[in-house]
Amino acid sequence: MMPPTRLAGTLIPAMAFLSCLRPESWDPCMQVVPNITYQCMELGLYKIPSNIPTSTKKLDLSFNPLRRLRSYSFSNFSELQVLDLSRCEIQIIEDDAFQGLKHLSTLILTGNPIQSLARGAFSGLSSLQTLVAVETNLASLEDFPIGHLKTLKKLNVAHNLINSFKLPEYFSNLPSLEHLDLSNNKIQNIYHKDLQVLHQMPPFKLSLDLSLNPLDFIQQSAFKEIKLHELTLRSNFNSTDAMKTCVQGLAGLKINRLVLGEFKNERTIKDLDKSALEGLCNLTIEEFRLTYLDDFSEDCIGFLNCLANVSAISLVSLYFNKLEGFPKDFQWQYLKLANSKFQYFPTLELASLKKFVFTDNKVLSPFTEVNLPNLEFLDLSRNGMFFKGCCSHRDLGTTRLKHLDLSFNDAITMSSNFLGLEQLEHLDFQHSSLKQANDFSVFLALKNLLYLDISYTNTHVIFHGIFDGLFSLQVLKMAGNSFQDNFLPNIFTNMQSLTVLDLSKCQLEQVSQVAFSSLPKLQLLNMSHNNLLFLDTLPYQPLHALRVLDCSFNRIVASKRQELQPFPSSLASLNLTRNDFACACEHLSFLQWFKDHRHLLVGAEQMLCVNPSDMEGVPVLSFRNSTCQMSKTIISVSVLTVLLVSVVAVLVYKFYFHLMLLAGCKRYGRGESTYDAFVIYSSQDEDWVRNELVKNLEEGVPPFQLCLHYRDFIPGVAIAANIIQEGFHKSRKVIVVVSQHFIQSRWCIFEYEIAQTWQFLSSHAGIIFIVLQKVEKTLLRQQVELYRLLSRNTYLEWEDSVLGRHIFWRRLRKALLDGKPKSAEGTEDAESSQHLATTPAWEGKPP
Amino acid sequence: MKGFMAAFFVWTLISANRDGGQAWPTHTVCEDGSLKILYQSCDPLQDFGFSVEQCSKYLKPNLNIRFGIILREDIKELFLDINLLTKGASILSYSYPVCEEDLPRFSFCGRRKGEQIYYAGPANNRGFEIPEGEYQVLLKLYNEKHSMVACANATVISS
Repeated sequence: MMPPTRLAGTLIPAMAFLSCLRPESWDPCMQVVPNITYQCMELGLYKIPSNIPTSTKKLDLSFNPLRRLRSYSFSNFSELQVLDLSRCEIQIIEDDAFQGLKHLSTLILTGNPIQSLARGAFSGLSSLQTLVAVETNLASLEDFPIGHLKTLKKLNVAHNLINSFKLPEYFSNLPSLEHLDLSNNKIQNIYHKDLQVLHQMPPFKLSLDLSLNPLDFIQQSAFKEIKLHELTLRSNFNSTDAMKTCVQGLAGLKINRLVLGEFKNERTIKDLDKSALEGLCNLTIEEFRLTYLDDFSEDCIGFLNCLANVSAISLVSLYFNKLEGFPKDFQWQYLKLANSKFQYFPTLELASLKKFVFTDNKVLSPFTEVNLPNLEFLDLSRNGMFFKGCCSHRDLGTTRLKHLDLSFNDAITMSSNFLGLEQLEHLDFQHSSLKQANDFSVFLALKNLLYLDISYTNTHVIFHGIFDGLFSLQVLKMAGNSFQDNFLPNIFTNMQSLTVLDLSKCQLEQVSQVAFSSLPKLQLLNMSHNNLLFLDTLPYQPLHALRVLDCSFNRIVASKRQELQPFPSSLASLNLTRNDFACACEHLSFLQWFKDHRHLLVGAEQMLCVNPSDMEGVPVLSFRNSTCQMSKTIISVSVLTVLLVSVVAVLVYKFYFHLMLLAGCKRYGRGESTYDAFVIYSSQDEDWVRNELVKNLEEGVPPFQLCLHYRDFIPGVAIAANIIQEGFHKSRKVIVVVSQHFIQSRWCIFEYEIAQTWQFLSSHAGIIFIVLQKVEKTLLRQQVELYRLLSRNTYLEWEDSVLGRHIFWRRLRKALLDGKPKSAEGTEDAESSQHLATTPAWEGKPP
Repeated sequence: MKGFMAAFFVWTLISANRDGGQAWPTHTVCEDGSLKILYQSCDPLQDFGFSVEQCSKYLKPNLNIRFGIILREDIKELFLDINLLTKGASILSYSYPVCEEDLPRFSFCGRRKGEQIYYAGPANNRGFEIPEGEYQVLLKLYNEKHSMVACANATVISS
């Protein structure tokens, strides 16, 4: 129990708070549709707010402590059609409370503890069709002042204190009444006299709900010759006997629909006896429904013999497990057996049956053949049943079937391609496991099929002809299956009428360019929850009627091609949410496309980048193109620069000497020297000197002038004089070609020694050694000076390889250029240097 | 128990007028040595009453529960969503149709706004032992228009 102090603690502040409020001073009601619909639920209003427009048609004032409805309370709202006064603590409704509400069609008074209801409370409600007075302490219909409501269609007085089913005389004045809900009242007995007024009402119009009344007794022939549309009696009887008496009391009733049974949470009958329903034989019933009855043993179903002429039967949640042996001549056209723990599929042979619904039964045995020659509608879903063979007219005994639902079952082996079932229009296999659906064109015969669902059937599509023959198909759902290599081939040939195609959750990674090439009427395509990596528009281009394309929940990073081809112009909605968008500059054109088509995209504003990591969580739309252009220019400029620099470097390297020449052609000269170098070599090496040295140095760039004895020595002069005059005097450098022959030649050694002295005198570092071939050390040692020099100085070695020679020539040219005097002022320089070379250098050098 | 329920309804009715910004109080469904169940309404409009018949970590099948509420919405159809979380991670999500329009299962199905529901009966569960740990259970009841009928944040502590 709640402590009273706490209760008071809650109450007092609440009251204090509420008493401070002046609801009328502000605008408390929510405007749902301007000037039409106002929602004022639970706002603590003590009276009807005055600031609601008079044009209001729907007004919800529920959960406000209005407490009392005075006369003309709603006179301001003459247009009102729906008025909700649920739980308004209304205790008193005065005369003419609703006066003026000529257009009111629905009045809801649920949950008001009405103590005083004036005789004229409902006057003026000339259009009222629905009156709900549930939980209003109503004790009897007799006192309920509704006799003048001629337009009333629905009267709900459930959950009240009514203890008599005496329908007052005024009911004859309610010709439009269709529904009377008296459920959850206190009615125990129904007498013959109570129902007399029903004879004066239009036949087969009224639906009566008497559920949850503790019925004990219905007087014999109370319902005799009464014609009702519907009577519901659920959880009315607390014993088999009461049920038996009451059902017998219904004798003579002619009714379109009779509903019997209990509620799952209101079960009172124990040990149901087979006699309980015997009385049904005396009724004329069009449709019979029985639901939630415990202990319904097989011998109880004998009552069904009473229902041989009923056209529709529903037996739901009855907990019997066997149903067999109906005579063939039953006139049933519709049979529903649901949630009833059937362990075996019933053997049925009913010539009249057109519609058979057998669902939510946990069947252990496989499907067995039925013989229902007129069956058009068959629903066997949610049974966990397996089918050894499916499907042909032999399995079902009918050739008229139009609707077949085998969803939510166990394995279904496709053994036949619907032979004799060409009339089928609707076929549902979802969440059952299809076997052998891939081996042949299973649906080949179904040229009238409009709807096919094979979602989640563990179908692995290999055979491309799987859907052959479905010429009329309009809807194909095949979510949750898989394809060979996760590639969608063109399996939808000849489906000219297809408008809806669901391929979600098929693990698709790639789609053939021609996958949808023959679907001119397709309007809705669902490709969501696959593994597509790129958005490619090409497959969708032949879909000229496409309106909705869903590619959400894929792994789409960007478009496949740089330039995205346009989608069909009919496309109105494209869903790309929950993909792995890469907001990188490489996908710039896609991101631009994304922005341009935001009107097409579902939830474009909410879509976020996933890659790269620094862009994660950033809205795709906020990606700026300028950032890319910037980096693009930077990249291109830097690449160009690098390229240019390297080209220049290569050119400089290649034309190094040309450049030197170009820069120094006027300024560099040989100075006072006639020759650039005097070559000392053995005549044995003359071939090399002529063919290599002369050719490369004199004809190359820059051209060097060499002093060669065979060419430049003046005849008639002594060799020694020539060597000194022509060779050393007129040359800047000396090239010594060292070889075997060089060491052995006396002249050569002589020349070399002079060169050494010359170098010493002029203080030029002018001797360049070229070792033409490896000289034996012992031989070299004979020339001690040369040996020492070679081991100390850098020398050039003649190489055999191309690269080696290239380097050789570069080094040699460089060495020759080195020390070349500048020409302009160089002549003077050279002259002075010569002076220096001759005179002061003498003095400076140690002996 | 009925006395408690009646008092509770009075209290929910009265306290329904309070400011919606506040959180509803936490109620204890049951507490014994090894099991503790607490819940709090997460519907801004109202609190509701709930109790279980037995309080043991060995749940017996078809446990009897009591549940009381004043409807703020019609429930021609009613659906229950259960979300079981432990350490912030969802381990079970379950949706169950409580009321369907055709041949409704329970007697409260089809009731309208303003009506009271008091359900006392089996919860249609399987018997099992609650493993040790702390669980959050989010229960949501909503109707065919997806309007919330009731919502509860429950904490189950089993040790």
